Amino acid sequence: MAESAASHATHGASRRDFLTLLAAAGGAVAAGTILWPVIDALNPDAESAAAAHLIVDVSDIAENTAKTVQWAGLPITIRKLSAADIAANQFVVTQDLPDPAGFNDRVNAGYPNFVVVVGLNTGTPCALEGDAPGDPRGDYNGWVSPCDGSEYDPLGRVRRGPAAKNLAIPRYNFLNAAQIKLG
Amino acid sequence: MTTHVKDSWMSTRLPCLGGICATYFQKNRAANAPYFAALPFLIAMAAAFLTLSGAVLAVYYNPWHAFDSVQFIDRNVNNGWLIRTYHATGTTMIFGVTYLYLFRSLLRRAYRAPGEFVWMLSVKLLAVLMLTGWLGYVLTGGAAGYWSLFNAANAALSMGGLPGAVGLWFFGGPAGGDTLARLEVFHALLAVALLLVVWLLHASRRAIAAPVASGKGVAFYPYYLAQYFAALAVFALVFVVLAFYAPHLGTSHMNQLPAESLAVPLGGGVPWYLAPAAGMLGVFPGSGLSIVAAIAAIVVLYALPWLDRSGRAGRCGKLYGFFTWVLALDVIGLGYAANSSSGAAPTLAGVFTAWYFFHFLVLTPVVTAMEAE
Repeated sequence: MAESAASHATHGASRRDFLTLLAAAGGAVAAGTILWPVIDALNPDAESAAAAHLIVDVSDIAENTAKTVQWAGLPITIRKLSAADIAANQFVVTQDLPDPAGFNDRVNAGYPNFVVVVGLNTGTPCALEGDAPGDPRGDYNGWVSPCDGSEYDPLGRVRRGPAAKNLAIPRYNFLNAAQIKLG
Repeated sequence: MTTHVKDSWMSTRLPCLGGICATYFQKNRAANAPYFAALPFLIAMAAAFLTLSGAVLAVYYNPWHAFDSVQFIDRNVNNGWLIRTYHATGTTMIFGVTYLYLFRSLLRRAYRAPGEFVWMLSVKLLAVLMLTGWLGYVLTGGAAGYWSLFNAANAALSMGGLPGAVGLWFFGGPAGGDTLARLEVFHALLAVALLLVVWLLHASRRAIAAPVASGKGVAFYPYYLAQYFAALAVFALVFVVLAFYAPHLGTSHMNQLPAESLAVPLGGGVPWYLAPAAGMLGVFPGSGLSIVAAIAAIVVLYALPWLDRSGRAGRCGKLYGFFTWVLALDVIGLGYAANSSSGAAPTLAGVFTAWYFFHFLVLTPVVTAMEAE
């Protein structure tokens, strides 16, 4: 600005430039202040936002069992793996699986003993059995579909058809060792 | 900071836009327009602002649970209370500037040739604005709005022939969620119509602007742009003061209660901007006469260019100016009478209504003819 002010024939021109800039900046701030509430109003309200980000307590899940919660209209199944489950599934040759996926693809690296999946059979859409240790769990100690007989392992990987896809993993992250935030 | 339209980046790629912009750089406007000439611009700004805030309200509004959805907007939606205040105070502002604009047109006798068409568009603007405003008042689902809709819908549906058919088409039945659902759409469509009328008003005002001697004119940019922005700043200041210190100015307490189909609210509940019209309609017994009165009140406004007998060159007399001020007080009095619960209110409304028609049908021709000599 210094050279341009010096190069102007009069001081009036630079003063006008400055005033124009000031007026435009003030107008932009005013318009932004008026418009921001209008834009923000289209963000979800606190209640919808909370419902869209369900927080689940996982501290009460015993090893080798799962609990199912409803979120976004879907049954979300959270299973706490036992040491035996991890040992049986950690080093499976993934190429031999119907839908190859490694152990680390299925669990959160910080909390490898929790599996969070959408508890819907990927073949014939159907709720799965196998949350409690006493339920039918198939040959892989995971879940079975009562509708088409598909079998899943504790990581939610499909092991026996007709289903061809692993159980879907919802958006989630661990807030701490006891809480999962979905969405 | 200079702008050369002819070789700007945009005008070489979209010449049409450049052509529109070019008119704002031509030095063809008189240099001494008063600030009040910016009123149509303020009406346009208010209409755009109402469209914007109304669009947000429409996202959350539910005609089948009208009152509850308004409460939801006020309490749960982010800044929802502010958006509602924007819309309510914006309505007050657009009616304020429109009434002021019409009053100024009357006072200056701007309706005379060649301004008849501009004047007719101004009256049309008022009519569209009032219908839109009434629909918005009804959409809130408050007790007063519900009964206003109930009476209007029953009046329309009880008429025979074409008016009844139009009423049935418009309301789709008596008051209820299904009615509000369609009125919400009409409210939005009328808002678009309002923007169109404002634009036509602007265009026709430009068309009849007196030609300026070569070399004497100024361009819209920056002279009138600066003036319009100054007017807009005052407008915005008034808006902010009203929005934050008097958000419920001139609105009905009754409309703060949910609609109740078995309880008729006591007393008037009409917002200030509809009150003069409501006062006039209340004078006439029966729905048929009320509708005739509403049409007549608009028709005398339309006919004003021909009721004024002073001719194109006639000067503006003091007596006519005086009676125009009296008319303004008369309309304000009608509004007070509409929402007053005093025993004298019906009589006063009758007198004020009679004066309104007397002003246009008798005083205007006589006084203007007298003063033109």
